[in-house]
Amino acid sequence: MQKRFELVSKSEVLSPLRKELRQLLGQGGWEKKSTEEILLAIDEALTNIIRHAYGGQPGAMVVLFDDGPEKTEIILEDCGKKFDPTQVPPPELPRHKPGGLGVHFIRTIMDRVVYDEAFKEGNRLHLIKFKSKKLKGEGAL
Amino acid sequence: MKIQMTCQGDIHILELVGELDYHSSPELREKLNELSAKQAPKILVNLKGVDYMDSSGIATFVEAFQKTKRYQGRLILAELTDTVRGVFEIAKLESIFEISPTVDEAFTRLGAKA
Repeated sequence: MQKRFELVSKSEVLSPLRKELRQLLGQGGWEKKSTEEILLAIDEALTNIIRHAYGGQPGAMVVLFDDGPEKTEIILEDCGKKFDPTQVPPPELPRHKPGGLGVHFIRTIMDRVVYDEAFKEGNRLHLIKFKSKKLKGEGAL
Repeated sequence: MKIQMTCQGDIHILELVGELDYHSSPELREKLNELSAKQAPKILVNLKGVDYMDSSGIATFVEAFQKTKRYQGRLILAELTDTVRGVFEIAKLESIFEISPTVDEAFTRLGAKA
């Protein structure tokens, strides 16, 4: 099952998008806890696009949701300033200062986070969650 | 997100309903800033109605916690839903905050009765 969302980089788009993705993740067989965690990872990645890639200015964001029998993959694209979240150093936890946890959430929740360096127009980030523990261990795509 | 602010004795209570994310957290930050600016001694945040929270929500509470700590105030978070508790756990912040399972217990901790 695939679905494409074309969005404007505004914070008010996050909640309605979560509502649609929550339904799709449920249809993909994810139970409530995992669904909410995956939503959180997507949300954090989109918040980074809004804040860092576009600096709070409106721009285009695309969310490609791709659910298969072995994994769920979410691809996020934007045309903003280059921002590679995989290069953000891990925070020291517990963090006593506000902020700096978004990328930690993404890394903790998703099995694979891949930043596409070949994507020239802006940023493309792949968030992957495997449905079986075996595949997680193999780190297969 | 709906934020209802009430007062019981010297305890300021914020009851939140809805989703706490990058869009809604500035409103909560503003309310908490108002309270810390006037050095409210005891702040109780009831999270029973919050079914979603992201790192912006966490950051808002970390900031409020630091501000209240500076003037020896107290901030207690009560009635976390499973989803919200999970976010605190991923951030490894459960031990930093004062967290109460119920509002009644939070009131008791703060030296009042609900």
